[in-house]
Amino acid sequence: MQPTLRLNRRAFLQAALTAAAAAGAGVACSRNGSPWRFFTLDQARTLASMVDQIIPPDQDAGAVWAGVVNYIDRQLCGPYQALQETYRYGLGAVDQTSQSNYGKVFADLQSHQQIELLHRLEEGKAPSGAWKQLSSAEFFGYVVDHTMQGFYGDPRHGGNREGVSWKMLNLPYPPIRGRVRSDLSKPRSG
Amino acid sequence: MSLKHVNAVIVGSGAGGGVVAKELAEAGRSVVLLERGKWFTPFDERKDDLRNQRTCVLGNAFGPDERNPRVYVDASGHEHVISPTHGAYSNNAACVGGGTLSYGAMAWRFMERDFHLRSTYGAVDGSTLDDWPITYADLEPYYEKAEWEIGVSGDDSNNIFRAPRKRPLPMPPLPPTREHQILNPAARRLGLHPFDIPMLRNSVPYNVACEVDAKCGTHNTVIPKAIETGNCELRCECIVREILTSDSGRAAGVAYYDSDGRLQEQSADVVVVSCAAIESARLLLNSTSRLFPNGLGNRYDWVGRNLQGHAYTGAIGLFDHETYDDLGPGASIAVCDFNHGNLGFVSGGMLANEFIRLPYQFASRTAAGIPRWGAGHKDFVRRYYRSSISVMGPMQEMPVFDSRVQVDPKVKDHWGIPVARLSGHRHQNDLLGTNFMSAKAEAWLKEAGAATVIRSGPISLDGPSGGQHQAGTCRMGNDPKTSVVDKYCRVHEVDNLYVIDGSVHPNNGGFNPVLTIMAIAYYASANLVKTRKGMGAT
Amino acid sequence: MTDDRKFLRLRVIAPLLILLFAIFLLPGASLYYSYSGGKSCTKCHEIWQPYRDWHESAHRNIACSECHGDVLTLDAGFHLKNIRQLAAHLRGKIPEQVRLKTDDVLQIEKRCAKCHREEYASWSAGPHSATYAKIFLSSDHNQKTLLMDDCFRCHSMHFQGSIRDLVTPVNKQGPWRLIDSRLADQPAIPCLTCHQLHRHGDPLSRPQTKPDDAGPHEEIARPSLALFDRREQDYVSLDRLPLPQMYEGTRLVKISPDQRQALCYQCHAPEANAQIGSGDDRTPIGVHEGLSCFACHEKHGQTTRASCSTCHPQLSNCGINVETMDTTFKSVKSPHNVHAVKCIDCHTKGVPKRKAGL
Repeated sequence: MQPTLRLNRRAFLQAALTAAAAAGAGVACSRNGSPWRFFTLDQARTLASMVDQIIPPDQDAGAVWAGVVNYIDRQLCGPYQALQETYRYGLGAVDQTSQSNYGKVFADLQSHQQIELLHRLEEGKAPSGAWKQLSSAEFFGYVVDHTMQGFYGDPRHGGNREGVSWKMLNLPYPPIRGRVRSDLSKPRSG
Repeated sequence: MSLKHVNAVIVGSGAGGGVVAKELAEAGRSVVLLERGKWFTPFDERKDDLRNQRTCVLGNAFGPDERNPRVYVDASGHEHVISPTHGAYSNNAACVGGGTLSYGAMAWRFMERDFHLRSTYGAVDGSTLDDWPITYADLEPYYEKAEWEIGVSGDDSNNIFRAPRKRPLPMPPLPPTREHQILNPAARRLGLHPFDIPMLRNSVPYNVACEVDAKCGTHNTVIPKAIETGNCELRCECIVREILTSDSGRAAGVAYYDSDGRLQEQSADVVVVSCAAIESARLLLNSTSRLFPNGLGNRYDWVGRNLQGHAYTGAIGLFDHETYDDLGPGASIAVCDFNHGNLGFVSGGMLANEFIRLPYQFASRTAAGIPRWGAGHKDFVRRYYRSSISVMGPMQEMPVFDSRVQVDPKVKDHWGIPVARLSGHRHQNDLLGTNFMSAKAEAWLKEAGAATVIRSGPISLDGPSGGQHQAGTCRMGNDPKTSVVDKYCRVHEVDNLYVIDGSVHPNNGGFNPVLTIMAIAYYASANLVKTRKGMGAT
Repeated sequence: MTDDRKFLRLRVIAPLLILLFAIFLLPGASLYYSYSGGKSCTKCHEIWQPYRDWHESAHRNIACSECHGDVLTLDAGFHLKNIRQLAAHLRGKIPEQVRLKTDDVLQIEKRCAKCHREEYASWSAGPHSATYAKIFLSSDHNQKTLLMDDCFRCHSMHFQGSIRDLVTPVNKQGPWRLIDSRLADQPAIPCLTCHQLHRHGDPLSRPQTKPDDAGPHEEIARPSLALFDRREQDYVSLDRLPLPQMYEGTRLVKISPDQRQALCYQCHAPEANAQIGSGDDRTPIGVHEGLSCFACHEKHGQTTRASCSTCHPQLSNCGINVETMDTTFKSVKSPHNVHAVKCIDCHTKGVPKRKAGL
């Protein structure tokens, strides 16, 4: 199943996010009135805009459709528990940087503005006082790596929905793989 | 509380311990095999792109878990308490079978010169390089035994550099992959000598093996055999705290925490330590007493020294056509033209095509010229995932005295046992060798038709080596002042204590070390059975 | 209070509580569930997702209890399991995804037959209803081929454990037995292997009369068709399953586009080289090249009886009764095997030209 390309980018993002949030609903590790386990709605929206620039949708699905936000949300309540504060702080700082540079939160920026800002975050050149406790490059490094994990990793962890990245790489799942048969000598009926 | 006395207690059920257990049990000795991890089945840890031995971003599939921290001292002297998923931890699978459960299963014999590097190349500045007290000829029969008992397929007849073997491998090679078919003629055109990598994998029905009847480790071959004799008891999830010694300075047994966390004492005539280089050294160093205030075998401060592994290096080639055919395990063809006799540095290593790269591994690889994210990165992954070949190899490292395992004075694990503390640096020779090997890998890939070749960057000499191929911390030698165990793996100063694993390697070859660990385990066991007749038969 | 009296009170009060629980609470719970149409089940949020999926599935009109069992049952195991799950829930041990255990799958299995009688009977008579005993205790097989975990990929993919948890000993000598003997007569390839019950789809409606010819609008695959993938412990829907590219030597073989075959190919699979006839592959070539598995094999029973006459002799090139012309057509080793037979196999001197109109 491919994302509907008729929707415009933002409307699509919204729809995909809602679906992904619904799929992940329930096992919350923080009580914040959000359908996510960890994120608030605003945090999820900012992160979604970031990961969809890191792996953008084209002829193949992008990171949001593949459930990367759900993947990160889930790991932050599991193996990545220690990074909760990093994400809370980092996502806040991204929006703060965006506000001070463009007067809008990150998710509301034009696509080219988002890319421009992400490059500056990556290079640690984001001119804002928002990055005092954490370098923007370090935070962006985490997001890039976790996006790759959520998009290219196993669906069982909450990302790579329907094995979409494997399909993109022409690695159909499950593979068709028979066994070399040892001779059981009795001919079997066809 | 003490348990029924046995002839031998073996700590660790990996490549070394598993073999020793079987050899002793078959010789009629009573054996207790202690393992800190579990006996995993293929259903417990189903194949996972993000939780495996090579990619442990979501945890180590086969242990150890977070209860087992280590301390790592970086180049500027800062201490870090690190978890097993950290790159500097040097994790090796902690489970029945140890690394042999999760390894790539290349089954190399070291070359003759690997046993006397010092005589071949002379002394190396800044390195404790020394000859082994044994030769290739001493180990040859045991290499053969490992190949036939555990099961190796392959064909190294075109490897003119190989050490002489008396018997061919028990199984033919696996079918050649597409990468093999591309790399083989290219290597020949360059005057190299490519051949099918020996692998501990069934190419025809042979041994009981893994989930798909392919890969053999100690957990599915020798350990079940040891248990079948009725003489070997395997106890899982047992954390050994220390080796107990008697007033006369002999090993009396071990104290360990069982799976319920209760402290137990197992007495034995002989204690065998097979925990891999870092944990074996840690156990000896944690076993202090009035007679051994610095730990067992450590009178001359050699335990934990010379920690080695392998500096891996090579290149990845990007092709205009598909190279991928999904034929496992991927690694299939190798050359040994660069293991020795290179100009300007000591030794070298083999080069082989890499195991199949999982999508996340491929996508998270960064190199100059490849976008790290965005549309360009997605395009790159989509375009080249099925059209790339990676050629890599392990550089034989020079042992460095200051690269070492100690026990940390402050940090303790979940059971209150002081943890391993890793510090040191690599030798300059490792950098020269890896640069050379990367260039050779690049040349091979170019000859094979790669449109673009990206070489591994120069390795960092900071921090000690180690990793899955960890070795060297309880060196084998004739002189008790410059080694920890004798030529039969017996600790010089304690005549019923043995270290049988990669720890005893004075140097670690330009190869994956597992078959050598197995061969040494067969060799040392044979001697143990022969010389310790007093050890009552059951 | 003395220990004796304490003990006495325990002996009296405990059974009384259990009785009260059984009389009031269980029927109450049952009523509550059926009254809310399953929605109350989702109060415990582990099953929110399955509930949502069920609500949009072809089985949306079937109550939870029809398949998962009613709380009024006398089966102690049912109640024990629920109590254990409740305890885990209260302790905050909430699983990310709820999954059916080996037993659950087999329980549900029997309930499918309540409605799908024809399909169930057909499957029961066919090879895919083979039991654990038949598959795993065959000495003919086990003496020649070692049992291994990969067997589970196609046989008893729902079994929660490893081969050493199912059969002992795992060797070629035997004698073999199942560790849990209750599994012996249970099916190893149950309905839930190829059907995902909570999958999005419309309820099945059976037309009063079947149209004579299936038009392009007739549904050929139910939305429930999906493979239970043991590795991910989840279903892969039919539309996502790959159809292979098959080769005879270097020639690319034409295969039917019938997507349902993607299910067959997961187990009746060629080796990695994708060669016709390798491994367990049965892709037809020769005169039958391009036919779907389902052109001849009945979907639940896999029977092929009278399947030849579905097409022959009308489409036959020679007019001979094809079912009796060569009795080796069923043997995989025969050159006349129905999956591989070619014109040249009979017309050894050259294949005559097609007559007009045939």
